[in-house]
Amino acid sequence: MRIRVKVNGVLYERDVEPRKLLVHFLRDDLGIKSVRIGCDTGNCGACTVLLNGRPVKSCNLLAVQADGAEIITADYSDELMERLKRAFHERHALQCGFCTSGMLLASYALLKRNPKPTEEEIREGISGVLCRCTGYQNIIEAVKSVAL
Amino acid sequence: MRYVGKPLPRLEDYHLLYQARYLDDIELPGMLYAGFVRSPYAHARVKRVDASEALAMPGVVAAFTPQSGKPFDFAPGGKVRYQGEAVAMVVAVDRYTLYDALEKVYVDYEPLPAVVDPLKAMEPGAPLVDESLGTNVSRREKYASGDAERALSSSDRVVEETLTINRVVPSPMEPHGVLAAYDGRTLLVYDSTQKPHIVRREIAKSLDVPLTAVRVVQPDVGGGFGSKIQVYPEEVRVAAAAMALRRPVKWVATRSEDFKMTTYGRGLILRYKAGFTKDGVLKAIKGEVVADAGAYDWFGFDLASTAATMLPAAYKVRDLDIDAVSVLTNKPPLGPYRGAGRPEATLFIERIMDLIADETGLDPVEVRRRNLVEAGPYDNPLGLHYDSGEYLATFNRGIEATGYYDLIRTAEAEKTSGRILGVGMSFYVEITTYGHEVAIVRAERDGSFTVAVGIAPHGQGDATGIAQLVADELQVPIERVRVIWGDTDVVPDGMGTDGSRSLTAGGSAAVLAARRLLAELKRAAEELLGGPAEYSDGVFRSGDRAISIGEVVEAIYRGKVKAQPEAVEVYRAKPTFPYGVGVVMVELDPETGLVKPLLYRSYDDIGVVVNPLLVEGQIHGGALQGISQVLYEEVVYDQDGNLATPNFAFYHIPKAVEAPRYEPKLAETPHRSDHPTGTKGVGEAPTVAAAAAAIKAVEDAIRRATGRRVRLTSTPIRPEEIYKLIRGGS
Repeated sequence: MRIRVKVNGVLYERDVEPRKLLVHFLRDDLGIKSVRIGCDTGNCGACTVLLNGRPVKSCNLLAVQADGAEIITADYSDELMERLKRAFHERHALQCGFCTSGMLLASYALLKRNPKPTEEEIREGISGVLCRCTGYQNIIEAVKSVAL
Repeated sequence: MRYVGKPLPRLEDYHLLYQARYLDDIELPGMLYAGFVRSPYAHARVKRVDASEALAMPGVVAAFTPQSGKPFDFAPGGKVRYQGEAVAMVVAVDRYTLYDALEKVYVDYEPLPAVVDPLKAMEPGAPLVDESLGTNVSRREKYASGDAERALSSSDRVVEETLTINRVVPSPMEPHGVLAAYDGRTLLVYDSTQKPHIVRREIAKSLDVPLTAVRVVQPDVGGGFGSKIQVYPEEVRVAAAAMALRRPVKWVATRSEDFKMTTYGRGLILRYKAGFTKDGVLKAIKGEVVADAGAYDWFGFDLASTAATMLPAAYKVRDLDIDAVSVLTNKPPLGPYRGAGRPEATLFIERIMDLIADETGLDPVEVRRRNLVEAGPYDNPLGLHYDSGEYLATFNRGIEATGYYDLIRTAEAEKTSGRILGVGMSFYVEITTYGHEVAIVRAERDGSFTVAVGIAPHGQGDATGIAQLVADELQVPIERVRVIWGDTDVVPDGMGTDGSRSLTAGGSAAVLAARRLLAELKRAAEELLGGPAEYSDGVFRSGDRAISIGEVVEAIYRGKVKAQPEAVEVYRAKPTFPYGVGVVMVELDPETGLVKPLLYRSYDDIGVVVNPLLVEGQIHGGALQGISQVLYEEVVYDQDGNLATPNFAFYHIPKAVEAPRYEPKLAETPHRSDHPTGTKGVGEAPTVAAAAAAIKAVEDAIRRATGRRVRLTSTPIRPEEIYKLIRGGS
C-alpha cells in the first residue's frame, strides 16, 4: 500500500506491506534509527514517537495506520526539544541512552500539553517509557528544570 | 586537581543524544538476518530437525541445524536442556521473511521430565540435566574457618532457616544482538557486549582463527547489568554464519527471545543454622549456598562461592562452615546480575542480623554494632582481605546521616493517621575489582591526548571519569582528552566492564600510562630545551626557556627528538571493598497488600569520588534494581519448566510512578583504595545495600499494620502474601 507521512517536517511517500509495523517502517524504510525497539509487547516505550502531537508506541501501530499523519521523533529540533536534551545532559538523565528517545518524546508531549507539570504529573507522563539505568529521578529533575 | 571530584556532566551524552548507534541501528550492504528456532520444551531429546521447507522459501539463504556440527553446536549431547534453547538457525534476506521461515523448521522432540526446583534437583532420583555427571550437583566447595559445629553447640540460641532469593531477568533496555561480516580474511563483529576482548578470544578459539583475524567492536550498548558478560553460543554462531556465507549476518533478539536466551540473575538459596549469644553476638553459621545454576554451569558456582565467602561481611563471627553448591536445572543458565553474589550475601547476613534482633529483643542497629569489626584492613575468615574502612564508625555515622531513627519516628507518627509505612536498614561491605586492565595514552601533534581503554562502559560514564583523571594527571584542559573504548583494534586487551571495576582498573591503567607518557615527554622537552625542565599546565620550563607540550609532541612526530609518543600500561587490579549503609522506606496499602517504595537513603564509603554526578546516577539506578527485586520482579516457571513470565507483559520492570526518591550521601572522609585512582567502585554497591534494606522495610510495614512479628525469608514479596500476612494467614 502507498502511504504518505511527514516525519520531522519531511514528507515521505512509500509503498509498504500492510503488515509492516510503524516502528519498522521508520527504522528500516526511512532509516530513522533513534526510534528504538526494546520489547515486543508494547511495554517498554523505547519506540515512542509523536503522531499528530500525541505520544504513541510505534510498535503498536501499522505503518498504514500512519498514512497522512505528522510524526515527530527525537531527531526533531526545536527550542523545546533542544532544551530538553540540554537538561537531560546537565542532570545526568541518561546512562545507556537506549530509552532516551522515548523519554524525550514523552517529556516533550507532556510539556506541550502541560507546561508546568507537578512531579506526580511528570512521573505519570513518562511512565509509558521504561528506563533500567537511572531510577528515573534525574529524568524527572531534567523535565522539571525545563518546565520552570 | 582540577577535574577529579567535580560533578561534570558526561562527555558521552553529546554522542548519545544526537548520534547514538546501537547494534540494531548498524546496517551493512548486503546484510542478512539470522534467527533461531528455540525449543518449546524445557528438557527433550532432539530426534530430527528438518529445515527443508524453510530453505525452499523465497528469500531464505541458509539454515544451520544440529547436523551442521561445530562451531554451531546445536543441541549438544542430542538434547535441549531449557525452554528456549536454540536448535537451529535460519538466515534470510529480511526480518519478516526470517520470522516466517523460522515457523517452517520442523523439529521432532522426545520430551523428558524436567527438573525446575534446585533443591529437588539435588535429591536422588531427580531427572538429570547432564547424564554424564550422574548428578545435578555440578560443583560443591566448602568454605570454613574455626569450628562452626562447636560454636553452634555453645551458643545461647540456635536458629535454623532457609532464605530464598528468586531468579530475575537482568533486562537491559537493549536486547542482545550481534552483527558479523567476513571479508575472506578478517571477521568484523559488532556485538552488544560488556566484554569485547573476551568475545574476540572466544570467537577466534571457536572458529580456529588467530586473534588478528577477529575485530570486535562494541557499538553503543543499551545496558547490560551483567547479562552481556557471557559469550553466548549465538554470538559464535552468527560469526560462523557470516564466515560460511561471506555475507554480513545480523541477529537481534526480540525481548521475548531475550527472555529465552539471556543469563538470569540471583537465584541463590541459603540453608543455614546460626548460633548467637543472648547479648546478640553472632557466634557461628553453618550451611550451604545453593545456586539454581540452570542448564549449564556458566556462572552458578562462582555466584554461590561469592555469596558464601562474602557472607560474614564485616561482622566478627569467625566460626563458619559454608558450602557453595551449584545445581543444574532445566532453566536458562544463571549469570551475573548487578552485584553477582554480593546482594545475595548481604541480604542473607542482614536477614540473620535482623533475626538476632527479633530473638534477643535488641534494636537491629545495636545488634550490628555489637557484631561489627571496628576497622580494616581486615582478613575475613574465609580468605578475603578487606583493604580499608572504619566499619563501626561509618555504620554509626550512616545511621545518623540517613536519619534512620527519624524515619522510624515518622512511620510511627503516620500510623496514627492510618498510613502504614515501613523502614528497613542494611549494612554492607562488598568486593569489587579484579583482573587486569590495559590503557594506551597517545599524544597528538597539537598536545591533545587520546586514551584507549579495554574497559567497555555502556552507560556508567567511565569515559568521562577517565578523562577527568587523565586531564588532571597531564594538567591539560579536559577538552584536550578523548577517551575511546569498545574496539579490539584500538587496545590489545582488556576485561571489559563488570564488577564495579571499570574506573578503578581502567582508570588506574590510564593514570599510570599518562604518568609514563608525561615522563617521556619531559625527557624530550629537556633535550629540546637543553636542560632540566619543570612541567605545569601544559608547558615545560627550563630557566627562561619554555616549550608547550604540543610543541614537544610535534617535535617527536617530526623526528626532531627521539621519544615515544604513546604509552601502554597493563595494570593488575586487586580487589577493593566499598561499604556503607542503605535505608529504604516503603508504604503499604493494607487493603491490597501492595507496597510502594517511597525513599532510598544511603551513606557509602566508596573511596575517592571522581565524579559525584555519576556516582549519584549509579546509586539511583542501582538502588531501584535492588528494591525492584524485592517488590516487583519474579521469574515464574511451571513444574514442567515452562516460563510463565516470558516478556515485559508478564515480568514487571518498575515505571517512574513506582520508583522512590533517592537521597544518597557519601562518606565525608572516604578511605582510599590502594589503586592510583583511590576509587573502590559504586556500580553495584547500591543494589547490594538496597535489596537487604527493602525486605526489612516491607517486614517492618507488615508488623506496623498487624502489631505481630512476621518474618520474611524469600524474595520477591508478592502483594497476595502480604495481604494474607495482614489478614492473619500463614
